[in-house]
Amino acid sequence: MVISVSHLSKYYQVHKKEPGLVGSIKSLVARQYEKVKAVDDISFSITEGELVGFIGPNGAGKTTTLKCLSGLLYPSGGEISVLRFTPWERKYEFLTQIAFVMGQRNQLWWDLPALETFLLNKEIYEIPTKRFNEALSELSTFLKVDSLLKTPVRKLSLGERMKMELIANLIHSPKVLFLDEPTLGLDVVMQQNLRDFIREYNKRHHATIILTSHYMKDVESLCKRVVIINLGKIIFDGLLDTLVKQHAPYKLIRVILKRNVEENILRTLGRDIKFQYPELIFNVPNEKISETVAKLLQQLPIEDITIQDPAIEDIIREVFNSEQ
Amino acid sequence: MNKYFSVARLTWDETFVYRLNFVMWRVRAVLQILTLYFLWLALIPTGASLFGYDQSSMLTYILGTSLISSIVLSSRSYAVGDEINSGNLSNFLLRPINYFLYWFARDVGDKAMNIIFSIIELTVLFVILKPPLFIQTESFYLLLTFVAIVFALIMYFFFNFLLGLIGFWSPEVWAPRFIFIILLNFFAGGLFPLDILPKFIFSVFQSLPFTYLLYFPIKIYLGQLTIIEIFTGIMISLVWTLVLYIIVQYVWRKGLLVYTAQGR
Repeated sequence: MVISVSHLSKYYQVHKKEPGLVGSIKSLVARQYEKVKAVDDISFSITEGELVGFIGPNGAGKTTTLKCLSGLLYPSGGEISVLRFTPWERKYEFLTQIAFVMGQRNQLWWDLPALETFLLNKEIYEIPTKRFNEALSELSTFLKVDSLLKTPVRKLSLGERMKMELIANLIHSPKVLFLDEPTLGLDVVMQQNLRDFIREYNKRHHATIILTSHYMKDVESLCKRVVIINLGKIIFDGLLDTLVKQHAPYKLIRVILKRNVEENILRTLGRDIKFQYPELIFNVPNEKISETVAKLLQQLPIEDITIQDPAIEDIIREVFNSEQ
Repeated sequence: MNKYFSVARLTWDETFVYRLNFVMWRVRAVLQILTLYFLWLALIPTGASLFGYDQSSMLTYILGTSLISSIVLSSRSYAVGDEINSGNLSNFLLRPINYFLYWFARDVGDKAMNIIFSIIELTVLFVILKPPLFIQTESFYLLLTFVAIVFALIMYFFFNFLLGLIGFWSPEVWAPRFIFIILLNFFAGGLFPLDILPKFIFSVFQSLPFTYLLYFPIKIYLGQLTIIEIFTGIMISLVWTLVLYIIVQYVWRKGLLVYTAQGR
């Protein structure tokens, strides 16, 4: 077990201020604090080489969980073990085996070429020269920035800088990776590249990876297993396939009509219908698919027909809604 | 240790990126020394003395403290507070690097630059102005001056770091720092030699760490302290250095407990 978390909680003290001048003075004299439960009694475990997606709305507690796992925060309660270390003790052997990539972190030295930061990290992580060179050429070739290594960081574009940050984060070939919104701010092509890269890294280094993202595509294309968090609690932990089966026991039948049909006729064919000529979408339970398709083909002037799984976004939304 | 050497070297490289900025900074340092020099040259004519200091020892005191303060009182660790508040501290907590030594290495890189250029400038000024300065030739005093300066810069580093650590509890890290800087210059003897103060006040000052930042090293250089005074002073510096170290470590640990890695 690479990561095991039991009954982890993290509470923040947040100071509240009433609006206006009176509120300001009040908060100067007697501050009001409020306890916010960012993470509230969660447990899970992850085995070596797994690639797990954390999903949840803003403020759900995803990032806080990652911060606890990487040793940045002291938990308010519960036990964490990562690679058999207690993260917040921040032992040397622990830190050399993990990386925490945040979408908008900057550890690069702004006025100097990115290569200088990499070389500094080589010293910090005590990487042998041979291994450093291999890792650097692997990363910079894959991310297509090998020609920019000697350009001062401030002259790089946002995307280029993000890639450099990623290299700086991974130059020590970590065994455990925490990726917090890694595709934030990247263009579509680069997002795809990065996903390929993460998948490849996971395979090649047999690395354990936890990923959070708002882009369902990231999660869908990378993670077999997902953990859904809301309001600091885990509301689903399991395979993405299971999630789909459990919460979406239906498929979408999409029909393109040759000519317009009266809505009354459509009503007799199914209940959950979206219609905007020429497109017609039926929401059909799995066991009724073939029956419905047969009926449709018989009764409607059909140009084209497809059967689809519902979008992951919709399923997740349903999970959240059913929670509340 | 290699990692901290790299940090020092990068800090050094970084300074050269903004060449004009660096040159102006040096010009400022030279102008400051020149104005002080001519002011005190006019205040104490040759042969006269003020508060028991003759012309050359007063000039040496004033210029010496200004040189020592450029070495001792230059610390980049003021940025610690901002790093805590911006969440940038996380970068360091995630990597196997000691945050204190990281900043100390940055200071060393910075100070090395300042010292080298100060020596060049002072040599030039010396040749041109031929000022009536007191030159210490005994290596015993020179060595002890050096020791006192090393203690001074470590103590100042801790002070600065401690002020930065306020960032764990409050985003307002600048106000305490301004007050500190103003008080410091007075207490450390940056404005005038402290021994012209009434005896009682002076002896209180002597038990505080500030005196040992500027006043003490320059007095050793001037050869105006007895051996016993020097060793007592060094012992007091040593004790304060240890006390400050313990306080900084304690506050740092407490701070990490409440650190929220916010902002990003």
